[in-house]
Amino acid sequence: MAPTAPPATKTGPASGLLRRVFFPNQSLGSPFLLIVTAFWVAIALTVWSASPWASLPGPGEVLRAFGTLWWQQGMGPELFSTLKLICHATLLTVAISMALSYASIIAFFRPLVDAISKLRFLGLTGLVFPFTLLTGGGYTLKVWLLTFGMSTFFVTAMAQAVLEIPREQYDYMRVLGAGEGRIFWEVVVRGTLDKALDTLRQNLAMGWAMITMVEGISRAEGGVGALILNQNKHFHLAEVYAVLIAILVFGLLLDYLMAVSVRILCPHVLLQRVRR
Amino acid sequence: MAAGDILLSVHDVWQKLGDAQILQGLTFDVRDRVRPGVVTGQVVGLLGPSGVGKTRLLRLIAGLDEPDRGSVRGPGGAPLPIGSVGFVMQSYPLLAHRTVLDNLRVAGETNGLSSTEARSKALALLDRFRLSERARYFPAQLSGGQRQRVAIAQQLVKQKTFLLMDEPFSGLDPAALEDVTKLIIEVANMDELNTVVLVTHDIRSALLISDTLFMLGRDRDAAGKIVSGAHIQKTYDLVEMGLAWRPDLEIDPSFPAIEREVKQAFKAL
Repeated sequence: MAPTAPPATKTGPASGLLRRVFFPNQSLGSPFLLIVTAFWVAIALTVWSASPWASLPGPGEVLRAFGTLWWQQGMGPELFSTLKLICHATLLTVAISMALSYASIIAFFRPLVDAISKLRFLGLTGLVFPFTLLTGGGYTLKVWLLTFGMSTFFVTAMAQAVLEIPREQYDYMRVLGAGEGRIFWEVVVRGTLDKALDTLRQNLAMGWAMITMVEGISRAEGGVGALILNQNKHFHLAEVYAVLIAILVFGLLLDYLMAVSVRILCPHVLLQRVRR
Repeated sequence: MAAGDILLSVHDVWQKLGDAQILQGLTFDVRDRVRPGVVTGQVVGLLGPSGVGKTRLLRLIAGLDEPDRGSVRGPGGAPLPIGSVGFVMQSYPLLAHRTVLDNLRVAGETNGLSSTEARSKALALLDRFRLSERARYFPAQLSGGQRQRVAIAQQLVKQKTFLLMDEPFSGLDPAALEDVTKLIIEVANMDELNTVVLVTHDIRSALLISDTLFMLGRDRDAAGKIVSGAHIQKTYDLVEMGLAWRPDLEIDPSFPAIEREVKQAFKAL
């Protein structure tokens, strides 16, 4: 008996596209993904423009406030000051956290790394006073508060990544005749670089989210945190939203730069990621 | 070295994993096989059921673990320090962040070659293993068979007497299986002292390429309950049986009978 053909199904180009857009676990090409994203942006802008809430100024109002802040109130230098602060704190975080995370392969340092990881449950607010006494306040206080806030989470994630390296990877390098120094470089440092960059990306976002709070502690050095708090004080709602949007946009820009650095430094990782 | 000299001696090896006795009094020797006028390395098949301790034994030979008791010695009774024995692990681990060429280059450098030497040796091996086109690929871009070939090539960047292979035939299609068996024979016959020890469940492939088969198993009591750690239960000297080094073995009328016999012996392990 000849095999019977399966029943024909309706799979034209349009229904295929709809299926890919609305069915779970479907992949969508970049142009279509862009269209879907544009759709959601349009929805958000429409809702925002038509918003009846007095607490949400319209897009035009926020845009005008942004112009005022940028040209008359020095928002550019404030943003630069904030970026300088976050970069400084990030560099310190990376240096301290990576050293501690890598040190976790040595038994002697494990309790120290564990203890620092546990400090992530301490809020920053209570630490302002002791940190002020230790650092003398001002810019240094803000740098160390941010560094502390980011480092405790960074160390937790990276120490876990180092702990999760399979024993087989170490054995494999030993069989190849590698010394412990080369094993450390290839397996621990190079082998977890993608995870380090991903962790940094998340911590940078956390640091950026903390920045307004930290900059509010000492406003003398300025920064967008100080700017937003000053606008809050005078109830300039449109200006507050303008600063918030600027914070969001710069945060996304930093996140994008981190994503690009992962792509450049760890191209193999993209091959292992499947986007559905 | 003279014909019949011991190249690898595993003597009275005992090893526990937690409370479980994995290996118990394990003893076997691998001797130099000699054929006049032909460079002949050794291929030793190690058969045994899952969980019997085959991989544990390979780790001991590779120097990754120390036996609780007993010894593992190389030619002339010399110890086998870690790094002196090649070991292709079951999952073919490679450095995911390095390209195929760099993986081989690193293997050369860790074995004391200069960067230039390591690179030229790596390129020669890639050519020989038909992987030149994949030199710039990352391990994530390779098929299972290609990954296996890279893992084997990596162990050959620096010539070592022993090459241990854990389940080299698992998950291969018939064409890849034929490729790997040829490759193992080629690697073994690169030098008179070369010795490939392969752990496998694939009785047919093991019979076709080995000169010796060791059956690793545990003793059982009358009720069929396991009563000991694993040791060599049976040895097949395929050279003595006239079954080794024969490309036509598969079509030999006696082959199905010996294959059946080994399968029966395997079931009893």
